[in-house]
Amino acid sequence: MDQTRDALCNDIEHRLGRIACDAILDPSPEAVAAQVDAVAADLDAAGIPDAAARLRALAHEPIEQLGERLNAEWGDWRATDELRGDVEALGGDAELSSMFVAEALDHLGSIEATLLKLEESPDDKTLLNDVFRPFHTVKGNAGALGLVTVQHFAHTVESLLDRCRSGKHQVGGVEIDIVLKSVDLLTALITDIAGRSAGQVGKNLRAERLALIEALEQLMAEGSSVLRQEAPKPAAAFNLEPEPAAIAPPVPQPTPTVVPFTPVAAQPAPVAVPTPAPAVVAASPALAAPPAPAAPAAAAANQNQSAIDATVKVDTRKLDGLVDMVGELVILQSLIHESPALGRVADERLTRNLAQLRRITTDLQRGAMSMRMVPIRQTFQKMARLVRDLSRKSGKQVELILVGEDTELDRKVVEDINDPLMHMVRNSMDHGLEPAEKRLAAGKREVGRMWLRAFHQGGSIIIEVADDGGGLNKERILQKAISQGMLTADQKLTDDEIHQLIFKPGFSTAEKVTEISGRGVGMDVVRRNIDALRGRIDIASTPGAGTTISIKLPLTLAILDGLLIASGAERFVIPTFAVRESLRPLPEHVHTIQGVPRLVQVRDRLVPLVWLSDLFQTGNVRINPSEATVVVIEDDARMVGLVVDRLVGKQEVVVKSLGDAFAGVRGVAGGAILGDGRIGLILDAHGIVTLIDDSEAAAPAA
Amino acid sequence: MSDEMKNKSAAGKYLTFALAQEEYGVPVLKVREIIKMMDITGVPQVPSHVKGVINLRGKVIPIVDLRLKFNLPTQDYTERTCIIVVEVELQSRRVMLGMIVDYVSEVLNISNDEIEPMPDFGERLDTEYMHGVAKIKGTVKLLLDLDKVLSADTVFARAAA
Repeated sequence: MDQTRDALCNDIEHRLGRIACDAILDPSPEAVAAQVDAVAADLDAAGIPDAAARLRALAHEPIEQLGERLNAEWGDWRATDELRGDVEALGGDAELSSMFVAEALDHLGSIEATLLKLEESPDDKTLLNDVFRPFHTVKGNAGALGLVTVQHFAHTVESLLDRCRSGKHQVGGVEIDIVLKSVDLLTALITDIAGRSAGQVGKNLRAERLALIEALEQLMAEGSSVLRQEAPKPAAAFNLEPEPAAIAPPVPQPTPTVVPFTPVAAQPAPVAVPTPAPAVVAASPALAAPPAPAAPAAAAANQNQSAIDATVKVDTRKLDGLVDMVGELVILQSLIHESPALGRVADERLTRNLAQLRRITTDLQRGAMSMRMVPIRQTFQKMARLVRDLSRKSGKQVELILVGEDTELDRKVVEDINDPLMHMVRNSMDHGLEPAEKRLAAGKREVGRMWLRAFHQGGSIIIEVADDGGGLNKERILQKAISQGMLTADQKLTDDEIHQLIFKPGFSTAEKVTEISGRGVGMDVVRRNIDALRGRIDIASTPGAGTTISIKLPLTLAILDGLLIASGAERFVIPTFAVRESLRPLPEHVHTIQGVPRLVQVRDRLVPLVWLSDLFQTGNVRINPSEATVVVIEDDARMVGLVVDRLVGKQEVVVKSLGDAFAGVRGVAGGAILGDGRIGLILDAHGIVTLIDDSEAAAPAA
Repeated sequence: MSDEMKNKSAAGKYLTFALAQEEYGVPVLKVREIIKMMDITGVPQVPSHVKGVINLRGKVIPIVDLRLKFNLPTQDYTERTCIIVVEVELQSRRVMLGMIVDYVSEVLNISNDEIEPMPDFGERLDTEYMHGVAKIKGTVKLLLDLDKVLSADTVFARAAA
């Protein structure tokens, strides 16, 4: 809504307040009706005939209720009008929208839960971050779709959260309260907009929203409620009830039945006719009664409803359970099929039925697997929308090139890759691509280019975000890291290590906080999400020529191709992708340091040796590497020789989480149920390498 | 007053089991099943009383040795050693967990009259995870508040790492 229109609306609001007052003090219907007409005429003049008509329609209501009705009607119109842009934006792409709504509501739900935990321990930074990040995502998604009102409101709340996060504002009961209320409102707002875009009658949340924004801003201006030490009545400042204007009678919450009003496209015909007052008055009963437009609106709602219902969002845990069970069914089926006892039975019907069973089981398995696999197209399209909007916002011209949209990924991967991709695209737009002048000065095309690629490579899927921008500014990253205390000035880092710095929590080189990025959430989230998907992230950057960030992901999360090894009584699974080779070294290739074999020569490289039994303290004796097996694992170009008793074999295993209880255990990615029914731990190469780093760091002190 | 309230909610059916000559009880409603001792896969970086994980029909379940947990003298597992699989609710999430005990005795119906609040031992003894003591036919059963006993064990890895 533009400024002049906003000002006019505010003015109208005041005048309606006065009319409401007059209606009580001076019960002369004619005079009041004339005032209403005047207001309506002004609205007509401003090119807002729909509101004018709605007010006129009420002008001859019984005088006792007039003020109330007018204000309710006006409030409702204004809320509708304000949300018009949002409703239109959400109505744009049904698939995207329903995804956004479902995701946003999910996020808001989890935020609420985390907030409640935060209330218990307000100093817990992790919890605060867990509130902030999804909030940031919701805001970002809303912005990407063009939900201006939602985004604006979320931005205000986020600012408060950001102040809390940076320690400028201490979290207390009032803060939690207000953020919780904001989350409620945001949930209601998004649901409301979704409802409106599906043609349903909306709710008026405007007064509540404005009151909340005001309260939030006041809270930020006044500083933390905790620091003010139980000021006698802090609640007064955060009275979230819409303040009734002094002159107006209390503005009632409009009951949903009052206005059957189509919010967007099809304006009902009567409204469009700016006829003189008397004619409208005559028409007023028709307008006040639930009018015709309700019917088409309801029909539209039904239609939209069915479009939304065509896809069902299923809890991935249910899907995982199904895939698991189908897996067991397939094994059982093949056990029966290959049972020797059956071979002796020569019954044609039984054979036929068994063949049928086998076919169905295979189909079932294929179906279950395919339910988990979806093309990345939708995610890429979301990014395309994001790039377009960011480009408009920042004034940078960008050409986006999508490659491999049909590449299929595990559904969970597609869902989880969305946030990291979004952050990467934002970063690329904000930090990577330069403004046009700078590009021209550097002798590049004026229009920046960005690539999103997805393709298979070996047993993995690679997703790349590339741009032809300025590349990472190593100097600035270093400076920033030093000024933020992550590094000391005399530390020497390789290019790769410098690039890795951008994945640290809280790191941001942006000079100012913009809506696009710069709050320092982002790359650390990206890293975390990718880690959770058992993926890897690499950066290649050439100063002046651009940056390519590539994510390497496993094809599916459910099944892992592993090397089964034995160490003492335990069995472990090492993911094949992390294994470089395994060997039994010749005694002359094993080198001792202070009497302990510490290095092994693998071709022409020296690789440090680590006993799995030491690492996991299984209490076994260290065996001589030349009598055991050394499995060389690799993580981020670092190699470690893991000493194990022996190789058992190669095996595809179903990955099971060990549960929250063991979430903090490092070096273990999960459990696999082995042939004998026992559980074998799945090793995590990255975790093992960092575990070794830590134990080495601790060793000199000991 | 608060003790009275606590005891009231503590009345009900209890599964009793033995640990080094002591008798303990846990609410039957929390018990999912009792299984024989089986092979446990050790998990690194966790306190010693966390023995590891088992596969219970496709589910991965952490196992806690209660003797170790309560600092009782250890003994080798015997024929009678069992794992009591319980379900506890922590932070509104249900978690399955197995407890190794010497042997399972019986299910007892314990009324309010039989339950006494835990005497205060001051600093010397941490009785926070006991509901109370039940005196039945001259023996004493220590009633465990499972959520409290095991709450630390659902996050042990994080604390240890």
